[in-house]
Amino acid sequence: MSKKKKAEFAPSRSEKKTFGQYVLCLVLLLYTIACALPILLVFVAAFTDDKWIAQNGFSFFPGKWSMAGFNSVLRYGDSLITSYGITIFVTVVGTLFGLLVMSMFAYSISRKGFRLAGFLSIYLLIPMLFNGGQLSGYIVFTNWYHLKDSLLLLILPLSVTTMNVIILRTYIVNSIPGELMEAAKIDGAGEYRTFFQIVLPLLKPSLAAVGFMLATSYWNDWQNAMLYITTKKKYPLQLLLVNIQNSIQFLLNNTNVPASVRAAMGGSIPEYSSIMATVLVVIGPIMVAYPFFQKYFIKGLTVGSVKG
Amino acid sequence: MKEFLRNTWKHRAHVVMALPAFLILFFIMYVPMLGISLAFKDYKTSLGIFGSEWNGLENFKFLITSKRIFLRMTSNTLMYYGIFTVVGTVLNVGLAIAIDQCVFKKATKTMQTVMIIPVFISYAAVQFIVNAFLHYDNGIINNTFGTDIKFYTEAGVQFWPLILTIIKIWKDTGYGAVLYMSVLAGVDSSLYEAAEIDGANRWRKIWHISLPALIPMITVMLLLSVGSIMKSDTGLFYQVTRNVGALHETTQVIDSYVFHAVKTSSNIGFTAATSLFQSVVGLLLMLFANGVVRKVHPDNALF
Repeated sequence: MSKKKKAEFAPSRSEKKTFGQYVLCLVLLLYTIACALPILLVFVAAFTDDKWIAQNGFSFFPGKWSMAGFNSVLRYGDSLITSYGITIFVTVVGTLFGLLVMSMFAYSISRKGFRLAGFLSIYLLIPMLFNGGQLSGYIVFTNWYHLKDSLLLLILPLSVTTMNVIILRTYIVNSIPGELMEAAKIDGAGEYRTFFQIVLPLLKPSLAAVGFMLATSYWNDWQNAMLYITTKKKYPLQLLLVNIQNSIQFLLNNTNVPASVRAAMGGSIPEYSSIMATVLVVIGPIMVAYPFFQKYFIKGLTVGSVKG
Repeated sequence: MKEFLRNTWKHRAHVVMALPAFLILFFIMYVPMLGISLAFKDYKTSLGIFGSEWNGLENFKFLITSKRIFLRMTSNTLMYYGIFTVVGTVLNVGLAIAIDQCVFKKATKTMQTVMIIPVFISYAAVQFIVNAFLHYDNGIINNTFGTDIKFYTEAGVQFWPLILTIIKIWKDTGYGAVLYMSVLAGVDSSLYEAAEIDGANRWRKIWHISLPALIPMITVMLLLSVGSIMKSDTGLFYQVTRNVGALHETTQVIDSYVFHAVKTSSNIGFTAATSLFQSVVGLLLMLFANGVVRKVHPDNALF
C-alpha cells in the first residue's frame, strides 16, 4: 500500500476512469447478472411449453414457447384478483397506519421535559428483548381476541416495531432542530399542529425509508396469513402462492373447465409453466413499480444521513 | 408525585400521541407474554391459558427425551446465524464500498436497482424458483452439470447449508448494502480530498475513511442481530425447503419447528418449553451484547 504513496493532484479523483474502475464495474455487473438470472428464469419458464420442460427440464433457452401457462393462470383469475386486492389493501393501510402511529410515538418520546418518556422508551424496548413466542401469540389472538380469519391480524402485528420507532426517533432527535418546534409554539401552534405541519413534513426522508421497509414486510408476509386466514376470499397473494399446487390440482379435477379449454391445453393443465406464470404475476407488479419508487427510497435514506 | 402528574398533564398531547402505539404493543406484544406460563402447564385448548393445570417442569422433560430434535434445531439455528451474519455483513459492507467507489454512477444505479429486487420476492415465491434449479428431473443444476442429486431427499441433505446461504446472499445483499451506502454518502467529501492531497491511494482511503465511517453502523447492526440469534428467517427454512422431513437434519431451526407445531397444534408442551428457552437465551444475549457495546461505543448502545 505504502508504495503508491505518491501525491496525485487530480481535482476530483472520483472522475478518473482508471483500469481498476473498469474491473470494479465488471465485477459489479457480474454480480448484477447473477442476481437477475433467477428472475429471468421465471420469465422464460412462464412462457415455455410445459411438455418441453417435462422432457428437457427448465432452461434459459427453451426449444418451444407457449402461452398455455398464462392461459391457465387466467382460469383462476378471480381468486387472483381478490388476492391482489387483499394484499394491496393490507399493504397500503398497514404502512400508512404504522407510519402514523410509530412517528407519533417516536415524537412523544423524543420530547425533552416529558417525564413519562423514559418509561415509554423502556416499554418500547422490552418487546425487542423478550416476547411470548409464536405459540402464545397464536393462542391469545385466536382464543382471547377471537380474531382468527380477520384481516386485522395481517395488519396489527406488523404495524409497530421497536426498531422502526427507534429509527424515526433518532431522526427526529438528530435532524429536526428543537428550535423549530419552539418557534412554532411561540407562533401559537398547538402540539398536534406542530407535529402534523412541521415535524411530519421534515420527517419525510425517514418516513420514506421506514415506510418502504414496512410495505415490503406487509407485501411479503405469508406467515400470519398461513396461521390465521382460512377463508379463500381473504387469501393474500402469498397464501395463494403457497397453495398454488393445490389450486392447480383443483383445476385439474374441476369439471367446470370447458372442454374446449381443456382441449386447447392438450388435455392437461401445464404444471411447471403455470406455476411460474403465477409467480410472475405475483412478483411482477412490484418489479415494475419498484424502479420508480427506488429514487425516493434511496434518497430517503441518504438525504437523512447527509443532512444529519 | 404531584409534580410528575403535573408534568404529564402538561404533556397530555404527547401522551395522546403515544397512546395508539402503546395499545398496539400492549395487545400484540405484552399480552402474549402471559403465554410463557404455558411452558409450565399442561395446555388444554378447552381450558385456556389460565385454566390449564400447572405441571411443573414436565414440559422440560420433553426437551431431554426429545434431546436429538432439540439439540439439532438449536445447533442449526446457531450455525445459520453465524454463517449469515459473517457472510452477510462482509458482503453488505463490501458491496456498499464497491458501489460508493465506482465512478460510473449511472451504470451502478441501474445495477443497484436489479440487485435490490430479490428482497421483494417473498420466500413463498422463492421456493418455486429454487425448485426450478434443484428439481431432480428438470432442475437446472442437474441438467447443466450432468449431476444426479436428489436435493429434496436424504441424499441432498448436506447441500442445504450452502444452498440456503446462497439464497440468503442473493436475496438480501443488495438491500443490506443500501443502509451502509447511506452512511458512506454522508461522509464529508473534503475528507477524501484531504487524504488525496496527503497522497493516500484508493485502498488507504477506503481503509482509513470509509471503513471507520461504517464501524458505528456495523456495530449497531451486529448488536441488534445478537439479540435475535435464536430467531431465524422462517420463510427460508420452512418454505424454501418445503419443510421436507428428510432435510430437517440440516435445515430445521427453532422458528420453523415452532411455526409448524403451531400450525398443526402439535407438541404444545414441547413447543412452549422450546419457546421459553428461545426467549430467555435471546434476552440474555441482548443484555450482554448491549452491555459490551455500552462499554466500547456508548453512543451506539440501545439502552
